[in-house]
Amino acid sequence: MKRVVSLTVNGREVEDIIPDNLLLIDYLRERRGLTGTKQGCDGGECGACTVLVNGRPRLSCVTLAASCAGAEVETVEAQAHGGRLSALQRAFHENLGAQCGFCTPGMIMTAEALLRDEPDPDEDRIREALGGNLCRCTGYVKIIRSVRAAAEELKA
Amino acid sequence: MNVQDKDRARDRSGAWENAGRTVGKPMPLVDGVEKVSGRARYTADLAEDALTGRILRSPVSHGRIVRIDTSAAEALKGVVAVVTGADCAMTYGVIPIAMNEYPMARDKVRYRGEPIAAVAALDAETAARALDLIEVEIEELPAYYIAADSRAPDAVLLHDNKAGNIEREVHHTFGDVAEGFREADLVAEDSFDCAEINHAMMEPHAALAEYDPEWERLTLHSVTQVPFYVHLMLARCLEMDSSRVRVVKPYVGGGFGARTETLNFEIIAALLARKVGGKVMMKLSREESFLTHRGRPNTQVKLKIGMTRDGRITATECEAVMSGGAYAGYGIVTILYAGALLHGLYDIPNIKYDGYRVYTNSPPCGAMRGHGTVDVRHAFESLLDRMARQLGLDPFAVRRANLLEAPLFTANGLMVNSYGLPECLDKVEKASGWAERKGKLPKGRGLGMACSHYVSGAAKPVHWTGEPHAVVAMKLDFDGSVTVLTGASDIGQGSTTIVALAAAEVLGIEMGRIRVVTNDSVITPKDNGSYSSRVTFMVGNAAIEAAKAMRAKLVAAAAKKLEVAPEEIECEGETFFVAGSSQSVLPFHDVAIAALAEEGTINVKGTFSTPIEAQGGKHRGGAVGSTMGFSYGAQVVEVSVDEDTGQIAVEKVWVALDCGYAINPLAVEGQIEGSVWMGMGQGLSEETHYIKGLPAHGNLTDYRFPTIAESPPIDVQIVESIDPLGPFGAKEAGEGALSGFPPALVNAVADAVGVDMNALPLTPDRLIEALTKLRRANKNRRAETREAV
Amino acid sequence: MTEVLPQFKIVTPDCVEAAIAALAGAPDARACAGGTDIVVALRKGLSETGTLVDLTGIAALRETATGADGGMVIGAGVTLAAIERMPEIGERYPAIARAAAAVAGPTHREVATLGGNLCLDTRCVYYNQSHWWRKSNDFCLKYRGDTCHVAPQGNRCRAAFSGDMAPALMAHGAEIEIAGPDGTRRLPLAEFYHEDGAAHLALNPGEIVVAAHLPPAGGVSDYAKIRVRGAIDFPLAGVAVATEPGSAGTTFRIAVTGTNSKPLLVDFPDALTGESNADAFFAAMQKAVQKAVSPQRTTTIAPHYRRLSVSALTARVARGLVGLAA
Repeated sequence: MKRVVSLTVNGREVEDIIPDNLLLIDYLRERRGLTGTKQGCDGGECGACTVLVNGRPRLSCVTLAASCAGAEVETVEAQAHGGRLSALQRAFHENLGAQCGFCTPGMIMTAEALLRDEPDPDEDRIREALGGNLCRCTGYVKIIRSVRAAAEELKA
Repeated sequence: MNVQDKDRARDRSGAWENAGRTVGKPMPLVDGVEKVSGRARYTADLAEDALTGRILRSPVSHGRIVRIDTSAAEALKGVVAVVTGADCAMTYGVIPIAMNEYPMARDKVRYRGEPIAAVAALDAETAARALDLIEVEIEELPAYYIAADSRAPDAVLLHDNKAGNIEREVHHTFGDVAEGFREADLVAEDSFDCAEINHAMMEPHAALAEYDPEWERLTLHSVTQVPFYVHLMLARCLEMDSSRVRVVKPYVGGGFGARTETLNFEIIAALLARKVGGKVMMKLSREESFLTHRGRPNTQVKLKIGMTRDGRITATECEAVMSGGAYAGYGIVTILYAGALLHGLYDIPNIKYDGYRVYTNSPPCGAMRGHGTVDVRHAFESLLDRMARQLGLDPFAVRRANLLEAPLFTANGLMVNSYGLPECLDKVEKASGWAERKGKLPKGRGLGMACSHYVSGAAKPVHWTGEPHAVVAMKLDFDGSVTVLTGASDIGQGSTTIVALAAAEVLGIEMGRIRVVTNDSVITPKDNGSYSSRVTFMVGNAAIEAAKAMRAKLVAAAAKKLEVAPEEIECEGETFFVAGSSQSVLPFHDVAIAALAEEGTINVKGTFSTPIEAQGGKHRGGAVGSTMGFSYGAQVVEVSVDEDTGQIAVEKVWVALDCGYAINPLAVEGQIEGSVWMGMGQGLSEETHYIKGLPAHGNLTDYRFPTIAESPPIDVQIVESIDPLGPFGAKEAGEGALSGFPPALVNAVADAVGVDMNALPLTPDRLIEALTKLRRANKNRRAETREAV
Repeated sequence: MTEVLPQFKIVTPDCVEAAIAALAGAPDARACAGGTDIVVALRKGLSETGTLVDLTGIAALRETATGADGGMVIGAGVTLAAIERMPEIGERYPAIARAAAAVAGPTHREVATLGGNLCLDTRCVYYNQSHWWRKSNDFCLKYRGDTCHVAPQGNRCRAAFSGDMAPALMAHGAEIEIAGPDGTRRLPLAEFYHEDGAAHLALNPGEIVVAAHLPPAGGVSDYAKIRVRGAIDFPLAGVAVATEPGSAGTTFRIAVTGTNSKPLLVDFPDALTGESNADAFFAAMQKAVQKAVSPQRTTTIAPHYRRLSVSALTARVARGLVGLAA
């Protein structure tokens, strides 16, 4: 079964014919060419696929695209403006919050939701909020530092 | 090795005398913006227009293939091609003398999950249905999952030419071990069982193969750390001239050793692409990525150490038995590393090592961060601590009683030119407050420490050609830009940045003027790949040499233009001038144009070859472990232990690593944090778990590498011993700290709750079992004491 | 493309009645809310469905209210993230807030619902695997096979219930409200579950969970969970304890998850009074839990450990509730 679905992807209103059994991650990567969103596991285990749906973090690998009708979806590609990195992106870049970079889009999107909610989270809050996002390179030390650095920059 | 040789080694210094303009300062990765913006394209992001490839895997652990019928699958609408073992009669493998694996099984399957056939279809749904239509009949054989069963006298052989199911036995003795033990005041012995683990890099495996039937040429994009080896194996298995093969490595989401050899799905994707005459994307699931494995094998270590009352180690005897999985892979190297790196950390005159690499019916093991050394180091540092306790010595004091004095060659012929371990010990002892806090923490809380080391590149490559180990090419053109070409595989560790920094430093130019082009076999020079922490040392030195060659041309051109001798030319950043004169100044671009006027586009290259004296002892297997320089690390781990649930919380880690010189301190820190943390995973929670050969761990909820929630702060200190051969004095930084964590953890747990754990990982069930045993023993002891009274 | 999802159609009812009609109308229809359990199951081929009934459009399921008895009613569609943050729940029913915060990772909890967690499928190392894996192992009693590999000699599925919310609600004496073709019914939450991993829910065809009803809390409560990592992991075991102060002393309602095919209410009627020997009292409590639970080899972590640790944890949580140090 397919249906016509209207939604907003990275600020652009789109209308697409979407099969009911299409996952949001596949819709974004294959139909919209937004390959920044990554698939790291076989379903709901790693957080690499995290995007924002109506401003809240969502695992796009266990979300059906059709269920996003009318929703506003944001991916990592929407972070930068005019080619300039967002505060979070810059912080992850400058603090080496990204090594191999594969978990990074999901990390940044989860952190984005956190900072919109709580602009000044302490280390413990960051640990809680990123609990579902796995990283294999950094030991998370510089990820925490990156989120803190972004919070500082946004405050300033 | 005589003294003269040592001096020769030291004279061949790769150090750049003026280091410090660009290098030595924290530098974000040159490819970092792409990663944080989502623009970085990884292999799975390149799927456009490709057919979907999928692999049919063996349902049994060991058996003879009686029949494969692919006709129904081939007849399915949407299926474009099916391949089986019949499509490839060539073996592959990373070690030329041990290539015993087929991309798809022929005749026999040896582990559950081994590829048997594969399909290329228009879409994933059709591919999945096609797999179900392939009929396979297998006559089952007995299967063995641990070394002891494989080695049983009546065990069926996995490989006919490997008696006793042993891939390689190693027996090395250096010094007089018996005499060493006689000199000891305390001889202790213990056995350790370290579970098999997997790299679990975040990016699942993927390969994109494209075959052009008109030109009969193949292009493969893959997640590899070793595009060169993949290139060789593709040519071999597809029986193509290697000039018709092109291998490209896009962005890669980690590797940690999983991708340091050619993997079956890479060859299968290529076979399918050739058969369809087009493009096939092979994306493996997370479970399949686990099945492809190549992780650290289960290793059982028996260790005996002799020690004098004041903590001097007099002798060591070690036996390591590895359950290596069904194929050779890197096995020979792994079992040799385990013994070789008993040397090189401490001054131990007498060492005996017996290693057994054993075939088992499970996915093949391979190289993983800290290759071969981690489990033996774990045993060693754990036992060392227990002996210190018995002798009433401080763990730091015991390590200090056995320090090396560089430069030297170890008993097994390993070259040590720089040795920052003493400083590492001082730093972590101080930072952790060891002297004030050790032994004074409340019950349930404890401190433990351990040391470790690792090679900076293998001095002899597994695939010996006689060529230099690394080549970097550099181009300067009309626009004044510098392009650096390297085959070094950045997999997230930051090697591309190191190459850029080295070039910028030597040329004195801005980073923005430099672009680094990597990993496309039609463009970039061959490189052996990213393994054994070789890239910074070897490729870094080659980059320095290339930049020096480029600089010489620029200086000559500037000299000619300014009508002075080249020796009179000095550089300051991007300007060239005559020494002592402020009048005659030329900007970089003018000098570049002047240089081009002589010969057009300037192409230079730099190479690195390992000095002969670095290449290890003359004994069989002596090349493994040999390197130009070892990194050295010490770390302190603080834990609290919940005695009700057996849960261990790592509160903090203090680590110091001697990486020679930190070309990029930011990346060095990141590497140390990542490796310490990966050691924590192995120590605390990571293990594979097979149910009759089926992986029960094939996902990221059951393969439990740590989440951010329980990952501790890691206090990193960098020690710079300035290695005489290292680029700017640098050595490796990404592996050396890993193996210190598990023993430091075990030692901290002993400090906290008084149990000595001999099995890794320290999952809560293992800890509760040990605590229960301890309580029972204490109770019995109390009862005995009462009786005695 | 990820693993291929089977073909199905989504229906999006906007009221409970329509949802029931949709479920009753198609025998293979499955209800879906946050999707964090069922979409994974569909991806792994653990479930087949022709119709997915998406309950997230039903506003009534997302409501919380004060109960007639002064207690609280939590709609089945309320997300775990909302429960975790709701001050009223945190103050009156702390075990429930703690349990919600302990489920999976925070991103799961954004969409995962109370109803979904109460109806969470049972889990087993022989079951939560890929199609290839299960086929290679001749499937299992829970799905497409005829042997339970955990207990081959037995005749039922041993898969373990692994929801965190159920024990917390059970410790607070919750009732569950179910709506179906024959109207609505309420039953004590403990009675919603059967000790059968392949059919652990007392849910008839066409029925959905509508709400949980909590009586006013008499005492204090807490939830604790045993897992290897600090996030993501399902409970190897979990325990909720709620106190009930009474004239004859304080009694404890104890509910355990992760050890059996259903969440268990542990029978421990003893009251703690000023005269009690506290150590003996909690030792007896620990014994009672040890006796009640029967963890099986459904995870890679040893059953014996899960029994020992959950009982020790129960005593610790209970002591904490009455202000005694562990």
